[in-house]
Amino acid sequence: MNGPAIEMQELGHSYNGDLVLHDVDLTIDRGEIFGFLGHNGAGKTTTVNILTTLIKPTLGTALVNGHDVVSERHLVTADIGYLPSEVRMYPHMTAAENLTFFAELSGVEDAKRAVAETLDYLDCSELADRRVGSFSTGMRQRIGIAQAIVHRPSVLFLDEPTAGLDPAGIRQLRQTILGLNRDLGMTVFMNTHQLSEVSRVCTTIGVLNRGELIYKDSMEATAHHFPDEMSLEDIYVRMEGAPT
Amino acid sequence: MISTVASQQLLSLRRQRVFLAALGMFVAMTAAAGLLGWSSHNTIVRVYDQAVKLLAANGQPAPPNPFLLKPELSLLSNMVVYVPLLGALLALLLGHLSVADDESTGLGRLIFSRRVSRTEYAMGKIAAAAISLAVILLAAMAVSVASLVVANQTAPTIEVVGRLGLFYGLSWLYLLVFALVGMGTALLSRRRSLALLSAMGAWLVITFTIPQFTSGLRPTASLNPIADPVGTSQRFFQITALARPISIAEQYKTASAQILATAPSEPVLHTVMRVVPVAVVAVVLAAAVMVLVQRHDFSRSSNGE
Repeated sequence: MNGPAIEMQELGHSYNGDLVLHDVDLTIDRGEIFGFLGHNGAGKTTTVNILTTLIKPTLGTALVNGHDVVSERHLVTADIGYLPSEVRMYPHMTAAENLTFFAELSGVEDAKRAVAETLDYLDCSELADRRVGSFSTGMRQRIGIAQAIVHRPSVLFLDEPTAGLDPAGIRQLRQTILGLNRDLGMTVFMNTHQLSEVSRVCTTIGVLNRGELIYKDSMEATAHHFPDEMSLEDIYVRMEGAPT
Repeated sequence: MISTVASQQLLSLRRQRVFLAALGMFVAMTAAAGLLGWSSHNTIVRVYDQAVKLLAANGQPAPPNPFLLKPELSLLSNMVVYVPLLGALLALLLGHLSVADDESTGLGRLIFSRRVSRTEYAMGKIAAAAISLAVILLAAMAVSVASLVVANQTAPTIEVVGRLGLFYGLSWLYLLVFALVGMGTALLSRRRSLALLSAMGAWLVITFTIPQFTSGLRPTASLNPIADPVGTSQRFFQITALARPISIAEQYKTASAQILATAPSEPVLHTVMRVVPVAVVAVVLAAAVMVLVQRHDFSRSSNGE
């Protein structure tokens, strides 16, 4: 596939007349791990909802792998994975049954094999036959990632993936994201508040403020642009104009 | 995709305790209908046998066995009441669970980030409800046949089994209406409790309120299939009785009584015409569920209780 993984042009969205996202122009190249930063209510989740085809933008266009999220929904959804902020699955079903369901919804032909390989890749095969209702937050997160990658998408959307995880879980998630990017070449689009994770994992960052994209550049360039700041947290606070 | 959604739903229902408890109660009530029929049959036959002996001892002729005059399926006449009461509640629950679980757990967001279309999703959910109801009613039919065998000490004739099949077929269509009501209310309300209460409200209106008007406020008519119960002297109820063809609860009960031969017979075409409103309501509700799924904002799911 050629061209950028994600492309947004003058993207906007309003809920009941309130503009929550406006004039977002953003391009994310293949193989990037993109960290999308912003306050609560800045419009990050709305952006992910548009890119994962859950809602239609009220303004502008968005392309994923060159396909329009509105008119070519079936092509977009065939090649994306999505992990929402709060991972829940069918609690009465086992992890393998849940994953098989999502693999089949993605059109995977040998779903059982794909599930076994995915669980093996994430080193959690022992969870396969256990009912999801009995899982801890960390286990649910691992199975959540498994459902997001079971069909081997080229673009992975993660919405606040570290929410509720303990330090060990966050560390494991970080290694998983890096591994998916390195081993499977996935482009990762990550909404997060965890600036320390962004600085360790992401190759590029974007900052959304009140529905408007106010910054986008590589981590390397960001460090050059703000030579006086000690950490990404300092840079972020300065960009958003918040008191230090 | 439709079969994938339907298979998942069937598997999920099979493991839900609430649903299994409601199913167990429905099958138990089916068995109870047979048991009550067998018990009353047994009691009357015993009294009849004693009367025959007494009459014979006095040298008097005995009248014929009253059960020889009654249709074989009259033993199961209570089912015509149990289906609109317990069966409809079970169907409401089934429809509610099939949509509300995806809504309240936020799974709708995951599902619609996949290749499945909303039409396929809705069709899969409706298919799962239809299959579940068919399985439930087949189990109930098996219990009914077993009750007949026990009560009559002989296997039912093909005609009896055929009538029973028709009755459960009509019951399937009738219960599908309530499963669709359960789905519709779950899609209309973000709160699970409100959705379930709304569905129960619809059940009360369909089962009790409308028949009260269309059958002249006779309380027994809202439960039992009674022919022409409207008080002809009451102008108001003469007018409201005109709406009886759209009272699906009454149409179901009257058609069921005809199929089970527990009411004075009417031309077959009349019975067929009673099924038409039930089928029309089912089709309209299925279309409404499809439209609601298309319009529902699944990106905001998981905000329920």
